[in-house]
Amino acid sequence: MEDNEKMNFRYTMIGAAAGIFIFYLGLILSLFYFVGGKGFWEAFLNPYTLFSIQLSLTAATLATFFAVIIGLPSAYALSRFDFKGKNIIDTFLEIPMIVSPIALGASFLVFFNTPLGELIQNKGILFVFEVPGIILAQFATIAGLTTRLMKASLDEISPRYEAVARSLGSSPWQAFYRVTLPLSFRGLLASVILAWAKAFGEFGATVTLAGAMPGKTETMPIAIFTALASANIEKAIVLILILMGFGLLTLYGVRLTGKRYRYD
Amino acid sequence: MIKIEGLTIHLGSFCLSDLSIEIEEKGFHFLLGPTGGGKTLILESMMGLHKPQKGKIWINDREVQSLPPEKREISYVPQDLALFPHLKVKENILYGIRAKKLNPHTFEEYIQALVRVMKIEPLLERYPAHLSGGEKKRVALLRGLAPKPKLLLLDEPLTGLDPSIKSEIQQLLKTLHTSFHPTILCVTHDFEDAYLLGDKITVFINGKIEQSGTKDDIFLRPGSRRVAEFLGLKNLYRVRVLRPEDSHQRWILGLNGFQFSAPMGGHLSQSEIGEEADLYVRPEEVMILREGKPVKDSLKRNVFGGEIIDISDRGRYHLIHVQATEGNVLFEISIPNYAFRNLGLWVGKRVRIALRDESLWVMK
Repeated sequence: MEDNEKMNFRYTMIGAAAGIFIFYLGLILSLFYFVGGKGFWEAFLNPYTLFSIQLSLTAATLATFFAVIIGLPSAYALSRFDFKGKNIIDTFLEIPMIVSPIALGASFLVFFNTPLGELIQNKGILFVFEVPGIILAQFATIAGLTTRLMKASLDEISPRYEAVARSLGSSPWQAFYRVTLPLSFRGLLASVILAWAKAFGEFGATVTLAGAMPGKTETMPIAIFTALASANIEKAIVLILILMGFGLLTLYGVRLTGKRYRYD
Repeated sequence: MIKIEGLTIHLGSFCLSDLSIEIEEKGFHFLLGPTGGGKTLILESMMGLHKPQKGKIWINDREVQSLPPEKREISYVPQDLALFPHLKVKENILYGIRAKKLNPHTFEEYIQALVRVMKIEPLLERYPAHLSGGEKKRVALLRGLAPKPKLLLLDEPLTGLDPSIKSEIQQLLKTLHTSFHPTILCVTHDFEDAYLLGDKITVFINGKIEQSGTKDDIFLRPGSRRVAEFLGLKNLYRVRVLRPEDSHQRWILGLNGFQFSAPMGGHLSQSEIGEEADLYVRPEEVMILREGKPVKDSLKRNVFGGEIIDISDRGRYHLIHVQATEGNVLFEISIPNYAFRNLGLWVGKRVRIALRDESLWVMK
């Protein structure tokens, strides 16, 4: 009786997990209903499609790069040091998660109409309806999340490793580079990949700040939207499949790297 | 000589003020005190993790309290050891030499000797995850000693080990110290470890240094009742100084109508009539007198009658509890097994006990 109940419990739980899998798989498979149809290959080889793939890859990579450059030291500070305003910073990291992406993009549009924003636009880099705008919008979306995720990976590494490294003669930089970084590498890499995937699929903030100009600022998620809006189903499906392909590959990559980083 | 002078640290709920400790070069110094008293904080301040509000730390002639940890030449072995899990044992051991950019050739012989003494050869190519608890401890000690630090800090190195491993590590620490003479400051709450290994002991209770000295100073001549209680000493009595005896060679001390005669000296030389003091009667210096045998003159002053109320066999010795007839004073007496057999003792038997002068220790 007890065994029976245990098995029921197990099947219920695993059943739920399988259900989620089937739900998503069905969604993906349904896309193939149109694959190979008239206009499919044409859409695939369309220069605008190829452009948006390339643009998406470049922009997401750059946005992630900047997010890591600022996020890793911030994550370290939040994880290891006590300082005034720490809680406020921590709260602000969640802004992109609670504000809708379009609101975030709109805030940028407003900012670039202030005197400071105009100065940046005129004397520095053009962001509004330009490629740098894509990178900025994606950066804004993922910087907080990246910092949070990296902080969580650093939190897992006891500060005592660094303490010992310091006592053995390492400077704080060396202790970070030789001990904390390799120990948290797995978690940091996973954070970076997740951030990249989120930037890669970002739509709302990007379209609001950079617009949807084919061949100029049209990333894949935006291209999907415009394709649908103009009833170009084949193109939309091609883009969705590619987007999913990249996304799944990178996320699966997180799990693979995780396995290789065990110290035995 | 390593000196801590007037060290004051406030951190979180801890407030340690005005601590001074002197550690002799090549000494094995213990910082002994109850768990959770801030001992680790002292170690961490010495290695440079916390900036003290006040005070100085000297390593020989060098003042180090404002230096970062990497410039202090103090190795730290935390309680959790913190072996670097991504480095092999060998790389863990060489970490300090590499980080300090020391010439590995000049250290080769020394490291090899350490590896031999600690029996680490077969472990060199392993990762820490594949070591047993005792092996990890050995590797961590070796890693700390490898760059020849001026001071090695050990945080509870013998806590939480299986008894067999514990004695192995105790022996190893002893061997390490006698063969390589590192200067060690070791924190522990276990007074047996301190007794076994330490040549100097500083007793640290409630954020204050209670006493510092050799192990005989601490265990035979505890400086205060707090120290004596922490060490688990029995036969502690609150007595009053009543009057001088033998033309001021001795004092008579009173307790519930019970009177001890204690030789002048120690704390008693500064005492005055009417003052209160704490008396410690060392259980191993109390005699149970054989019936009918004459009492030596030197013992006559402190002979009391009483009844045995408990006997417990402790393996290597016997503990006898005697309730004195006068004043309801309870004595714990430890006697060697042969003496126990010869005396023929049983619970309920009436006996006479004599306190040797050596058994009496008066604290302020």
